[in-house]
Amino acid sequence: MTASEAATVRTANGEDGDGTNGAGPVVRVEGLRKSFGTNLVLDGVDVTVAAGEVLVIIGRSGSGKSTLLRCINLLEPIDEGRILLEGDEITRKGVDVSRVRQRIGMVFQQFNLFPHLTAIDNVTLAARKIRKLSREQAEQRARELLKTVGLEEKADQHPHQLSGGQQQRVAIARALMMEPHVMLFDEVTSALDPELVGEVLIVMRDLARIGMTMLVVTHEMQFAREVGDRLVFMDEGRIVEEGAPADVLDNPSDERTRRFLRRTLQLPESLEELTVNEEGVEE
Amino acid sequence: MILATYDLWAFVSENREELLDGLLNTLKVSAFAIAGAFVIGLALGAARAHRIPVVSQLTAIYVEVIRNTPILVQIFFIFYALPQLGIVFDQFTVAWLSVMIWGGAFNSENFRAGFQAVAYRYREAGYALGFAPFSTFVNVTLPIGGRIALPSSINTYISVLKNTSLMYVIGYAELTTTSLNISNLTLQTTESLTMLAIVYLTLVWSLSALIRLLESRLALPESR
Ligand SMILES: Nc1ncnc2c1ncn2[C@@H]1O[C@H](COP(=O)(O)OP(=O)(O)OP(=O)(O)O)[C@@H](O)[C@H]1O
Ligand SMILES: [Mg+2]
Repeated sequence: MTASEAATVRTANGEDGDGTNGAGPVVRVEGLRKSFGTNLVLDGVDVTVAAGEVLVIIGRSGSGKSTLLRCINLLEPIDEGRILLEGDEITRKGVDVSRVRQRIGMVFQQFNLFPHLTAIDNVTLAARKIRKLSREQAEQRARELLKTVGLEEKADQHPHQLSGGQQQRVAIARALMMEPHVMLFDEVTSALDPELVGEVLIVMRDLARIGMTMLVVTHEMQFAREVGDRLVFMDEGRIVEEGAPADVLDNPSDERTRRFLRRTLQLPESLEELTVNEEGVEE
Repeated sequence: MILATYDLWAFVSENREELLDGLLNTLKVSAFAIAGAFVIGLALGAARAHRIPVVSQLTAIYVEVIRNTPILVQIFFIFYALPQLGIVFDQFTVAWLSVMIWGGAFNSENFRAGFQAVAYRYREAGYALGFAPFSTFVNVTLPIGGRIALPSSINTYISVLKNTSLMYVIGYAELTTTSLNISNLTLQTTESLTMLAIVYLTLVWSLSALIRLLESRLALPESR
């Protein structure tokens, strides 16, 4: 991404306008609790993300990472606590849910591009229907965004004609088209073949560099280290460890974090030394 | 001997004005009924797929009743029973109304299945972009699910067209009634039935060709 392309994304970001960014945190989650039936999935989560910050969220399967992101985007009702977006409590009654979601961009593990639309129509659809941009305006902006994700040539392809990595980059452009103030990424590289992971992570790195506020659930530890400003480790619906990515990854202070990192082979032990039992990697 | 007197062309040309009127009536009734079945199917299919309270339960009852009773009974009900309740329709209205109600029930199932086949993750992507629930239906569920429902709804429209011939039982002068009434007098039964078979085949083939054309332009790209 060149500097001028970066600038176009930044102005799209709304940071030049309303002055809400830069002041308080962009996202603030307080005492969030959430159950599915009797299954307590989020058990008092507190987390704050400042403007321009990249928060990386790691944790075992089922620890509530996706649910946390989905609650922030109001895709799941919460049981207790509150969530603030740029100072507004978005979990209060009577909030205009769709308008809140327009300020939040979300990218999913399965891309979820609309199969009946070309790449560029996927990117422009919401801007034309919700922001009421004309087709020309929307397409011009969409082509800029497709260029920043390296896909200007693929504008007229349908999703099934694109690789997973390309689809995911279109999905990122689609989210950016709504000029979100914060982006949520939920394991966006987990469904990709290994050789396609890098192209998506590089787009995300560029987005971080130009000051996008991001919450990133990922298993990509190199990305966490190099792009993340802060890392939280979740276990059983709670944040059990938090800190600078390199500190947490190299010197986990919590036993659960240490066990997770060992099981995902992120600790510096040699594979030679590890054995398994019915629980997985033996301690 | 029968073969010796068989003259399809004579039957058609001698009665062409009446037969043409009959054909026109068949087309009119079919057009009304198919348009209505489309609207009913879309609206009620959407209501059922999204479990809209009350409407969705009423639709379920409607579909059960229509699917599990003979269409002849339905036609007779509208033509003979409703007037006893003070609701009287002319023959033309009974004709399109009865096949529309029949087609609408089947079509609401077609659309329900189509909408339900749209993976939730697409709708969720719509919500995440900031679409309100109804806009998500219009911009995401409808274009994807509508395409999925298209082949089965085509079959329903074809059945609607063929079922207009049942208006024989109420004496409405669509093509079948007209042709059979003529041959009852002239005893050209074989000619009459041959002509009917040819015309219905042509109509159904044209209708499906038309809709198939539409389908190929609309089909989800990966299944093209
Ligand atoms: N819609 C739902 N209904 C019922 N239970 C759910 C639902 N969504 C999630 N859960 C449950 O909530 C728990 C946390 O799920 P979540 O998807 O947040 O975990 P995760 O940390 O994202 O895991 P993964 O790494 O596998 O994506 C799991 O036990 C899951 O089964
Ligand atoms: Mg998850």
